[in-house]
Amino acid sequence: MREFVVMTFATVGLFAAAAWYAPVDAQQGDAKPNPHNLPATSLGDRLDDRLDDRLDDDTLGSRGRTGHPSIAASPGFAHASVANNPAVRDAKPVGQAVCMACHTLESKSFAHTTHALGMNVALAASPTTPTCEACHGPGAAHAKNPTARGLIIAFTHDGGTPVETQTASCLACHAGGARDQWLGSVHRRNQLSCSDCHNPMAQSSAEGLQAKRSINETCATCHQDIRQQFNRRSHMPLPEGQMACVDCHNPHGSINAVLLKTDTVNETCYQCHAEKRGPFLFEHAPVRESCLSCHTPHGSNQHALLVAPIPMLCQQCHSHVRHPNDMPNEQQLASGLAPDERVMGRGCLTCHAQIHGSNHPAGPRLHK
Amino acid sequence: MRMLQRSQASRLTLCMVLLLIAPFARAQDSGLGIDLQFGNALDPSGLEPSSGIGTLGCDPDGASWLTSVRKRTPTGFLYACPPDHPEFLLGGEWQYRGAFSVGYLGLSGDQDNMLFSRYSNWDDGLYLGGSFRYEKPSDGSYFDVRASRINDDDQYLRALYGRAGKYRIQAFVRSQSNVTSSNARSIWEGIGSNNLTLNGALTPASSTSAQVAAVSASQPEQSLVVVRDKQGLGINYFISPRWVAFGNISHESRAGARPFGGPFFFNYPFADNGGAYEIPRPIDDSTVNLNGGARWTGSAWRMEFAYSGSFFRHANGTFDYQVPFAVRPVVPGLVSPLLTSGQFAYEPENDYHHLRVNLTRKIALNGEFSLAASGGELSQNDQLAPPMTCTGQFGIPVIPGNLYDCANWNTSAALSRARADLAIKTSMLDARVVLQPGRDVTWRASAKYDRQDYQGDYDAFNPLTGQWGYPAENGAQGSVVPFESGIWDPGPGASNITRIRNLPLDRELLQFTLSADVRLNTSNSLGTTYSFDRTKRGNREVATTNDHSLKLTWHNRTFDWLTFRANYTYLRRTGSEYEFNPYEYTFSTSLPGFVIPPNGVPAHTVSAMRKYDVGGRTQHKADLMATFVLPSDMTFYASVRGDWNDYSAVIGRRGYDALGGSLQWEWQPTTATVASVWYGFDRSSLDLANVNDAALTPDPVLGGATYPEANRWWSRDRQRNHYAGLTLNQTVGRIKLDANWNWSSSRGRTSYSFNSPGALTTPALAALLTGQFPDMLYRAHAVSLGVAIPVNRSFSVRVFDRYERGRVSDWHYLGFENGQVLDHRVDTDGGPTDYSANLIGLAFEVKL
Amino acid sequence: MRSVACAALCLAAGHAGAQSAGQTSALDESSAGTNTQVAAALLHAPYSDLRAIRPIAGDAEAGRRKSESCAGCHGEHGIAIVQEFPSLAGQHADFTYWQLVEYKRDAMPGGQMTPPMTPLAADLSDADMRDLAVYYAGLDPAAAPATEAAARPATAEQLQRGELLYLSGDPGRGIPPCQGCHGSDARGHRDALRRDRNGRTPYAAYPALRGQQAAYLRLKLAEYRDGKQQDSTTDFVMSGVAVALDDASIQDLSAWLASLSWAAN
Repeated sequence: MREFVVMTFATVGLFAAAAWYAPVDAQQGDAKPNPHNLPATSLGDRLDDRLDDRLDDDTLGSRGRTGHPSIAASPGFAHASVANNPAVRDAKPVGQAVCMACHTLESKSFAHTTHALGMNVALAASPTTPTCEACHGPGAAHAKNPTARGLIIAFTHDGGTPVETQTASCLACHAGGARDQWLGSVHRRNQLSCSDCHNPMAQSSAEGLQAKRSINETCATCHQDIRQQFNRRSHMPLPEGQMACVDCHNPHGSINAVLLKTDTVNETCYQCHAEKRGPFLFEHAPVRESCLSCHTPHGSNQHALLVAPIPMLCQQCHSHVRHPNDMPNEQQLASGLAPDERVMGRGCLTCHAQIHGSNHPAGPRLHK
Repeated sequence: MRMLQRSQASRLTLCMVLLLIAPFARAQDSGLGIDLQFGNALDPSGLEPSSGIGTLGCDPDGASWLTSVRKRTPTGFLYACPPDHPEFLLGGEWQYRGAFSVGYLGLSGDQDNMLFSRYSNWDDGLYLGGSFRYEKPSDGSYFDVRASRINDDDQYLRALYGRAGKYRIQAFVRSQSNVTSSNARSIWEGIGSNNLTLNGALTPASSTSAQVAAVSASQPEQSLVVVRDKQGLGINYFISPRWVAFGNISHESRAGARPFGGPFFFNYPFADNGGAYEIPRPIDDSTVNLNGGARWTGSAWRMEFAYSGSFFRHANGTFDYQVPFAVRPVVPGLVSPLLTSGQFAYEPENDYHHLRVNLTRKIALNGEFSLAASGGELSQNDQLAPPMTCTGQFGIPVIPGNLYDCANWNTSAALSRARADLAIKTSMLDARVVLQPGRDVTWRASAKYDRQDYQGDYDAFNPLTGQWGYPAENGAQGSVVPFESGIWDPGPGASNITRIRNLPLDRELLQFTLSADVRLNTSNSLGTTYSFDRTKRGNREVATTNDHSLKLTWHNRTFDWLTFRANYTYLRRTGSEYEFNPYEYTFSTSLPGFVIPPNGVPAHTVSAMRKYDVGGRTQHKADLMATFVLPSDMTFYASVRGDWNDYSAVIGRRGYDALGGSLQWEWQPTTATVASVWYGFDRSSLDLANVNDAALTPDPVLGGATYPEANRWWSRDRQRNHYAGLTLNQTVGRIKLDANWNWSSSRGRTSYSFNSPGALTTPALAALLTGQFPDMLYRAHAVSLGVAIPVNRSFSVRVFDRYERGRVSDWHYLGFENGQVLDHRVDTDGGPTDYSANLIGLAFEVKL
Repeated sequence: MRSVACAALCLAAGHAGAQSAGQTSALDESSAGTNTQVAAALLHAPYSDLRAIRPIAGDAEAGRRKSESCAGCHGEHGIAIVQEFPSLAGQHADFTYWQLVEYKRDAMPGGQMTPPMTPLAADLSDADMRDLAVYYAGLDPAAAPATEAAARPATAEQLQRGELLYLSGDPGRGIPPCQGCHGSDARGHRDALRRDRNGRTPYAAYPALRGQQAAYLRLKLAEYRDGKQQDSTTDFVMSGVAVALDDASIQDLSAWLASLSWAAN
């Protein structure tokens, strides 16, 4: 652990130093203009340089550039620039008043979002700050020909904006964090856009500006096969509103299989089932291998999300001499002629109760 | 804060300090942490906590004055309509909106039934809900609170305070219930405590089956419930446009009871002997979760440093249960000392630390290079319980070497070590490069190294006696069968076979992935991925497994009305030679003084066994998804998924196939109507093969003396499920109606075949066998209807009703209706049962 | 089974509800066999929802016969005899029709007094309104005899300012370019009759402005700006646009639009 900490901090230190001292043009990669709302990477760079991409004084006319110096815009919204729409390279931004002239109803819904709250403060602090156009790109061409597809960055099926342009617009502010691995993620590779799951134009969901009324409903639009598993007899409490898909998965992409949030399946489960973490004095190998050796993660018709009925579940691996390899049958049930504790009720787990591992010195067989 | 008083407190302090150093902290998100959903069965979305589903309709004006066509996602699904949130009211510098409600829930029917009340623990009574939002437009501050209370076991309050783009503080308290049984008949008292004592009518180790059965039958059915109470606090802080710091802390306590086991040796071969108990075990523990870190984001560089910690603490290290039955030796005439109680170790207290660093840099060709490193440790150092709790002696008298003094086993001095002192260290390094040389091509390569190292060895060695092993099944095994005590010694027990040490499970993964995506034209794209995983495992049957997989992705939008996605994955797992018994060194057979018994050491298992988690496998997996964009603001969606696995096993899991499909139709014809209907189907088939042992011989070969061909058997578990659902939200004038129907019908059929009656425990029963278990069934309907009637602008009434009916049959519990005590078997849980329950609710909602 | 039946009932009820709700789907085919019913439904709706309209049909010849009383104000050839009244020749039939509906709904602003059209429209049947709208749409404004020059001749600067405002708007004042909705040639929305996914023509009722009477345009623009015209979804769009117009801009725009000739271009 100590070695890891030292190693980590050394790496981080080097990286931070490089980031601090590397020349700005090196930071910018190739000489293309920065398409991001993000500040340049060099810490010595002036954030105000980003103003170039904003509304210019001519466009703004009489409103000018001076805002209310008493209002401090939050760092999350203050330095926005107009999103890049490659389809209209020459278009100029027009400012939110022009957008809202026709889109009054849209702005009414939008007003319920935290985006709107933050943008309006940033706009009041500095009237050059783009708001609508920070996401939708410059509006002049669209305003002149609003039904032509692609002239504005639209986040809809019929909008005519390529998915890449849409996601670039969102990532211009939201790069990093949970979205750090978006570029290689399965959802991106399946040509999904941010707006396939999110609708920032309305507060339709309690969390995360979802396209549907909740995170779970949003995921279920495509993953209906998973959603239906929550109808099974034992299931994670998603239909009961206690959990969301994103408690385990990061839909934006992760470096782990099936978009898990943590390094392994087991670590994901331990987030809520911390008691199963151990390590136990006596481990059960497939348990440590993966919780999914025996459980299905979403729902099952067996008890406790098991993939198969006990004892057959256990008999997939256990054929040791003496008792685990007899063929179970219906006569061994409590209703049969030869009731057998290995088949009825909890089955194998009646005795091997500590199936996830035992911490008892007398528990190698998971009995204690 | 009981958890802080332990020796780990210093470590905890250290991480607290780390937290403070690593500036502040971010609320959970899809990248980190849990507790991202606050809702309940009345309002699963959490969007309408004040009075439940259906009250928040669509904005009657729609989404735009320009067009009536509903907006769709790029894929083509309909967005949820913009909700009809109340307008903000002005109050000084703040504007606000909100609503709260007071209601009453009335339940009837089988309201306690486990399947009905599993995660809600429904009860009659008052329920409360509310949601408020305050905003200060001048500086972007906001305060948002949502709360709902169905009962003590199902409630939440979640508050956010923040400034848009500056910081966000989240605080919550929540209670979540898990009803683990609703028909428990306990012969024990003290449920929930760590000492389960027998009902007063029973005498430990001296009761008859009839007495126990009588007590069990006379017990009222009761519910076993585990409730989680959790409190959390988190912050996300923009230090600058580049730096964001985040951190969360939560504390959860769990309390209650659930069905669990209790082994006192077999009853099935030994009538009126042994003991198989299902006890209501206590759950009493708590967990503190921490995470924190900082993120730096710029146009070319990104980095993130995060720490996660989790600290699990139990109230008691062990829990005990008295047993009603005595066990006696199979040797006629001998009497074993009474064993009156059994014990379990509670899951050990553990500490978890995890550090993660992500670094990403933009590179040439519009690419990104990213490096992620993480390291963690799961450790525990619980005080170990003595192997036995008895006093006097245990075992079998007369036969030399089979009677043991409790004093040598009921003390910590009987252990080779007083504390567990175990840890697993994890480390992970992941590097990936993505290049986009043109707009239409993406190349990707990644390499990952992931390792978990076990630290700590435990020998089951008793320094007081010089013996190895442990008293098996609370001493019961050695009290019934001579030389089966589980204890090895160089003397009379020199041929006893038992476990003598722990099993470290080190693992190392090396993974390489190469992929390319090509956009053929504006409406077609293809992707392909090849990946190779090499996993090395310590002390497992296969030392190295190699997974080759190829994945193909196709995405098509040729038609304006169709978005089609197809994915296919082929995976083949091979590996080093399968070693059917890698566990030799953990057994007494590996001890220097071990004496091979006259008939040899029985085979560990059949050599033809292939455990499916490490064995070879070929997998084909496909999914097809089609989204149809229909006129009249309808969407139709169809998907088919299949997963076919062939395990190259003669014994063990042989195959697992699953195929499913679903259809969904959505309709938002007006702002007054939102409707959807869906149907889903899936089935799966799991094949396994096994073989009954005929004799205790060293021969591990299938078809040999131990595992004769005649004793082979096969089993297939087939699951078949149909599901359907319907939702309708309808506004009529000012009245809002909502209807919801959810249905599922599942059937599981486990069939078997066998070569000869030798496969059976009781060969004589072969003639009676039908070839399959009775079907496992689960059919459930849930219908809910609600109506919300506004009385005036700020006051409305909502009435709703939910009726649920379930039919369930699980063969594990067949016959339980005739009593849950059969000979020396005592089952507490009666198993899942049919239910029919109705919930009616009346709520008065007040809008601000 | 009972539940299934119940669910089916719910669905049926839902569909029925959708029909009766009517407010925002008044023009759905399923709810309106004929446009007569449409208009009847609309008379009671809180506002005319023109986002979901379909192109109207009418009998131009019948319209011509019914147009006698209209000609008194709107001219024999559909070119208004005074600037305060709109010219109707060549105007999109859907615009004219929905304007008439708005009069019939008694929703037109008229200052202190009832607008003169309101009582006239009250007696029109839905068929009358459709016939008239179609008739006037069929008249060629370019073919009409030239009328008197505008009372107040516009200056070249004024026309230039009006044109600039029409084509580019004024972002500094929050004014979008008019051409977005009324066409780069001011002949109406460029997608006026393009059906959307649901077969509707939401832009059909966006008027052509070319060569329209200057005083009428000034009057209307001022009404929009002052929030007096709030009876249809297109009114809501136009009010949002006009709110930033000052008197000078209204003058400039009206003058430039009035100066455009149908014959040209």
